[in-house]
Amino acid sequence: MSFEEIEHTADRAFRVQGQNFAELLKNAARAMSSLDRLGPSGTPSVVRTIEVEGIDREALLVNWLNEILYLEQTNGEVYDRFQILESSNRRLHARLDGRESEGWVTHIKAATFHDLTIKQTPEGLEATIVFDV
Amino acid sequence: MLGKHNFVRVAENIWEIPPTFRDDMRVPARVYADEGLLDAALGDNSVVQLVNTATLPGVIRHAIAMPDIHQGYGFPIGGVVATRLPEGVISPGGVGYDINCGVRLLVSLATAEEIRPFLEDVASSLYANCPSGVGSRGHVRLTNTELDRVLQEGSRWMLEKGYASRGDLDRTEEFGRVPGADAGFVSDRARERGRDQLGTLGAGNHFIEADKVAEIYDEAIAARLGIYSGNVAVQIHCGSRGLGHQVCQDYVSRFQKAVRDYGITLPDRELVCAPFDSEEGQEYFHAMACAANFAFANRQLLTHVIRHSFEQVLAGKIKDFELRQVYDIAHNMAKIEEHEIDGHRVRVCVHRKGATRAFGPGSAMLPDDLRDIGHPVLIPGSMGTASYVLIGTTEAMRQTFGSTCHGAGRVMSRAKAKKMVSGAELRDQLRSRGILICAGSMDGLAEEAPVAYKDVSRVVEVVHRLGIGRKVARLEPLAVIKG
Repeated sequence: MSFEEIEHTADRAFRVQGQNFAELLKNAARAMSSLDRLGPSGTPSVVRTIEVEGIDREALLVNWLNEILYLEQTNGEVYDRFQILESSNRRLHARLDGRESEGWVTHIKAATFHDLTIKQTPEGLEATIVFDV
Repeated sequence: MLGKHNFVRVAENIWEIPPTFRDDMRVPARVYADEGLLDAALGDNSVVQLVNTATLPGVIRHAIAMPDIHQGYGFPIGGVVATRLPEGVISPGGVGYDINCGVRLLVSLATAEEIRPFLEDVASSLYANCPSGVGSRGHVRLTNTELDRVLQEGSRWMLEKGYASRGDLDRTEEFGRVPGADAGFVSDRARERGRDQLGTLGAGNHFIEADKVAEIYDEAIAARLGIYSGNVAVQIHCGSRGLGHQVCQDYVSRFQKAVRDYGITLPDRELVCAPFDSEEGQEYFHAMACAANFAFANRQLLTHVIRHSFEQVLAGKIKDFELRQVYDIAHNMAKIEEHEIDGHRVRVCVHRKGATRAFGPGSAMLPDDLRDIGHPVLIPGSMGTASYVLIGTTEAMRQTFGSTCHGAGRVMSRAKAKKMVSGAELRDQLRSRGILICAGSMDGLAEEAPVAYKDVSRVVEVVHRLGIGRKVARLEPLAVIKG
């Protein structure tokens, strides 16, 4: 269980799944990172730990993804390993592993709230996330 | 399932979903399209998105979609929604992440045939001088004070710094400076994302394109705009870069709570909004205006670099290569305007998300020398296809809050386009038709393949026949620069 890209006319969208909320957060970040045309990943040389908040689980999910985009763009880094160290419905603590992007930064503008609902499924949790590109 | 049977045809090329369709609709949802374009709109989720916008508090008359409508997030792209002030709302998602994404058109008196022997060098120079592509950084890194000036003054700051002429500002929507900008409402994070991006193109569907004026439909208006058949033109399509993206993110996130506080119920959380006159509404408006000014300044700095590139290659080789600005328009913006509704002048907040101002003759918002002809409208086509110059009309004022379409409109996802089209093959095909392509990414090129878009000529024909924009000229591409 992980993520799959689904049709969206102008932007990019993923159906993301996870056995629990922490795994959903991690897989959403992996889905987003799969959109970057940054070539094969190298040995991680950058580690960042971050804290993110949101008013509910959906807001926390969007804020988490947008925090990653912000850090990538302003630090000139790219992350491809995501570890949720601790999470609740309104707050998370995570570790990002990556490397300097050597001038290449994400082309994704933002993760959006469009039609975003985290649903319970027999296997765990599922959400559809649309990214503005 | 929403389908054509849910529409009432109110006139030729005007389709309406009545507010009885869904309990939460406050006004009808209108699509301006011929039957084929309506079918295309029904091929994705865009009409549902349009219906969703008809639920916004204070929405007035109709939620409108132009013939280039396609699926976005929150609002459809090609949407126009006006809310009655002061109680009506402003929605950051209704403007989008690329605040004041827009188009600028420059023209020269040199002909395409004169420039053609040097086209390869011109394209290379543009590609080398105009930073493009993912994460591109500009030639200017602004201090905090300079960034504040850009945010509040837009193109005026560029004029002070020698990057613009007075004529450029006269031919820019809002004269290159949106009123109401207050940099105090732009976050440090937004500043950080934009600080070194002034004068950069970005990626996605953004481009610089050298064109030939291929056909003139209205010689008198074209001459007033300085457009002559056979001459060279340049289009710039880009927006407010990371700064605008972050402003939108900041306020979409903040408004998630505001809608609860104001008791606003919405069908989609990306539509979050606040009353325009509320603290949240005002703060977003001040910040949005800053991002809009950043975008005007961004296109202005690119203009400066493009002029330099033309000079670098063409000086001493051909005459009259200087580029003069026809106009610069925004197609992602919320504007405070007055419109006549049921015989009364009403103050409204007009959200144009992938839609263009098309004010008719007489508008006070136009520069003096254009007031008798109307607002120039710039409609870029998909890569390798025609683009159009139109002029705003009285009919647009009457029907669509002085708005018209903004482009061709996508019909195919980026993922599917990439599977169907090879970027390198597309580049070679276009080259065989005499169109040069400089692109940083072949994948990115494939995503923007013409097959992924509607036929821009058909879209333009619909707005022309409806009278919500009148054709002035058609441009055909010579060289395209993409990130």
